[in-house]
Amino acid sequence: MKTLTARRFRNSGIAIVAALLLVWLSGAMTTALRDTARQTGWILFSMICFLAAYNLRKKLPFLPLGASATWLQFHIYVGLLTAVVFGVHVGWRIPNGLVESLLATLYLFVFASGVIGLFLSRSLAKRLTTRGDEVLFERIPVYRNRLQAEVETIVFEELDEAASTAVAQFYADRLRPFFAQTRNFWQHLVQSNRSRFGLLNEMQAYRRYLNDAERETMARLVTCVEAKDDLDYQFSLQATLKYWLFVHVPLTYALLVFAILHLLLVSAYSGGIS
Amino acid sequence: MPTFESIQRPERWAVPFSTEMTDADVDRLLTIEPFASLDATRFRGKVTLPGILKNDTRLVRCQPGDIVVRQGDWGNSAFLVVAGNVRVELGSAASLPSEILGRQPVHRKSLFESIAQLWRNSSDPEVREIAAYRGDPRIGTRGTGEQTRIYLQDVSTVLDKYQTATIEAGQFFGESAALGRTPRSATVFAERSTELLEIRWQGLRDLMRRDDALQQHIDAVFRERALKLFLMNTPIFQHLGTTEITELTEGAKFETHGQYDWAGSFKRLAKKGIDTDLQHEPLIAEEGNHTNGVIIVRSGLARLSRRHEHGHQTTGYLTPGQIFGLDEIIDGWLGKTPKPLTHSLRAIGIANVVTIPTHLIERLLLETTGRRSLARNKAKTTDPLANQPKIDATRINSDFVEFLVENRYINGTATMLIDMDRCTRCDDCVRACASTHDNNPRFLRQGPIQNNIMVANACLHCEDPVCMIECPTGAIHRQMEGGQVVINDETCIGCSACANNCLYNAIRMVDVRHEDGDFIRDDRKHAPIAKATKCDLCSDQLGGPACQRACPHDALIRMDMRAVQQLTDWYTR
Ligand code: HEM
Repeated sequence: MKTLTARRFRNSGIAIVAALLLVWLSGAMTTALRDTARQTGWILFSMICFLAAYNLRKKLPFLPLGASATWLQFHIYVGLLTAVVFGVHVGWRIPNGLVESLLATLYLFVFASGVIGLFLSRSLAKRLTTRGDEVLFERIPVYRNRLQAEVETIVFEELDEAASTAVAQFYADRLRPFFAQTRNFWQHLVQSNRSRFGLLNEMQAYRRYLNDAERETMARLVTCVEAKDDLDYQFSLQATLKYWLFVHVPLTYALLVFAILHLLLVSAYSGGIS
Repeated sequence: MPTFESIQRPERWAVPFSTEMTDADVDRLLTIEPFASLDATRFRGKVTLPGILKNDTRLVRCQPGDIVVRQGDWGNSAFLVVAGNVRVELGSAASLPSEILGRQPVHRKSLFESIAQLWRNSSDPEVREIAAYRGDPRIGTRGTGEQTRIYLQDVSTVLDKYQTATIEAGQFFGESAALGRTPRSATVFAERSTELLEIRWQGLRDLMRRDDALQQHIDAVFRERALKLFLMNTPIFQHLGTTEITELTEGAKFETHGQYDWAGSFKRLAKKGIDTDLQHEPLIAEEGNHTNGVIIVRSGLARLSRRHEHGHQTTGYLTPGQIFGLDEIIDGWLGKTPKPLTHSLRAIGIANVVTIPTHLIERLLLETTGRRSLARNKAKTTDPLANQPKIDATRINSDFVEFLVENRYINGTATMLIDMDRCTRCDDCVRACASTHDNNPRFLRQGPIQNNIMVANACLHCEDPVCMIECPTGAIHRQMEGGQVVINDETCIGCSACANNCLYNAIRMVDVRHEDGDFIRDDRKHAPIAKATKCDLCSDQLGGPACQRACPHDALIRMDMRAVQQLTDWYTR
């Protein structure tokens, strides 16, 4: 495939054709008064096992199991296709029994988290390159502490030299909490700059109470605030990119457990898994 | 007649090749050939003959079996046999196996060994089997530190089994590789106690300039041994017969542009900030001038550029085997008037180039191809590596090209590029690397970013691997099959020469551990044993580089920078 767009078109095309075929086939079989639940159930279960196996592939990078990117392509389109198989399997209705409704809910959560995760992977990755320096996620607390120490040094130096405590006061009221921990997680995620501009505006407005030397100090603090805000932005996006999988993967395991339970129950009632 | 860039003052003498050369050694050398009969009046100014011997040479004493150079080694020096004799392996029937040369045998894991990594991999980083260091009985080492040598344990068997030739006292060897900056073409070992004079490249060049006989000798050997083979393997000449190739070899001119120690000066420069003014790069051919031949890069790298406003814009780069100036010669020949060059060509660091005069190209290439087919298809080759140095400016932004060239990333045959627009920072690549390499990733997912492409801190497997130059045991070497630059952990003595020479800081020294997690220490000083580690492109794993295979989002690629077309396709995908 020369371009990623071409690949997307090709794979979506194949998935759509497969979905249409499935719907048509099950329709035809139902018209012929045959119960398709068993077949679609097995298909769905195999698809889910294949999707869950991606976790194994990731854990065994030293085995010649094919590129993870190829796995993900199959994962995405097979994953999307499960929605159609699931719909056909449950007859496009919300199931009633306890195990069945739990199973359906789990499936819907895994599916939804997958779709959302894919959206996040594609959109947040791009946004990360637009702001702040590229930082390793694990190093963010170190950089944050470093910035905080730098800001404190600036403020204390100022306190030693200046007669007034204006800058120190502003720091204690407004900046210390800002530098103490990651801030504005959700705002960064939705690309809102409200808090950043709010704080910067406050700093601008506060200049009227400062002398020249203090204004210079404030200008240095502005640079630190911007750097910290960029770091928060990186944290917020990188954390989201990492943590959505903490929903997708554990729910996958729960889904597998319930699917097996469902299989056992169904076979017990219908006289064996055939 | 090789011509080399002249230098005003031998600054290199600030750091002599060896601090152990004494005045008595120099006096003794001056009494033997070829130095005894050199014309002292031709050494004027600062570069004196005793000065060269004192600062650019060192005496190497070998015992029987000591390996002096291995085929494929990268070296910047030539050798003169002072006393005794050495043997050069001819390699016609069978070659010395890489194991006895101290190299890592190429071993790809079997499926079972791959799976066994599941339980065999230690949870501590850098665990080694100590028994491996106690040694392969076939490998002998002697000496300490940078003087460590690998020796052949049974010279007489080697002499019986493999075809070799003798190099006697007074003869040179290793000069072609040193001057052409190409890999050593054969393995040389001492047959008995032998004294060698190792001369670094700059010293050899200065001697050649002042001694016609030496110049002619080296010139003839180079043409016969190296140049002919090179031209035979150059795609545009591949269809020519032996007589035509001989004619080309005789008519060819070869030159070196730039500095041999470009890597050292680049490192210093990079610290100060890279010089973006192309005026400072040695010019090989200039835009607007008429060409006197086709220029072929034999080793090193060259930059293609065009004048743009008051500066120069980089439009591509040439790697070994690529050619410059052919289009202009074809256009000139078709139109019957010489055409000026449309681009300039400059050496990036160092470039060894061969020029084939226009009249030979016209007679041997153009006339046989014929006007009509040339007009249709201007001698374009289909080999993607062969002849496409120009980058399609409509597809790749020129900033990106400048960035790759300025930072010498084009030296890489497996440069790690990460598309930061697709990378989710999941670190699957790093984890995959760690789990295939002693629980310690061999690269950092960090590095400069240009146009959202990161060049990560991983070994590039350079075309011109400066890391290999000073390895005393040849532990760091290029695999014959695949061409990856790898380190043999068993023969690495932890001297850090490779790590210090690497331009990209891609080699890291690590202290190795026992299976119980403690550091392995040396018997005498009890200091931890250090080994050089770097990316080996997973040459022992099934399936290729684990980093690239582990990336879920197609963000990471190991790019052969010679394949401009592939780079362009990936960049614009
Ligand atoms: C419905 C059943 C599904 C199951 C059981 C499932 C299961 C999994 C598992 C086990 C992983 C591996 C995670 C890891 O080990 O890091 C994964 C990753 C992923 N899945 Fe799903 N998945 C499902 C559906 C989907 C769907 C419908 C999509 C999107 C359309 C999707 C998108 C993804 C993505 C983007 C990744 C992560 C790739 C990465 O960045 O590492 N999944 N899924």
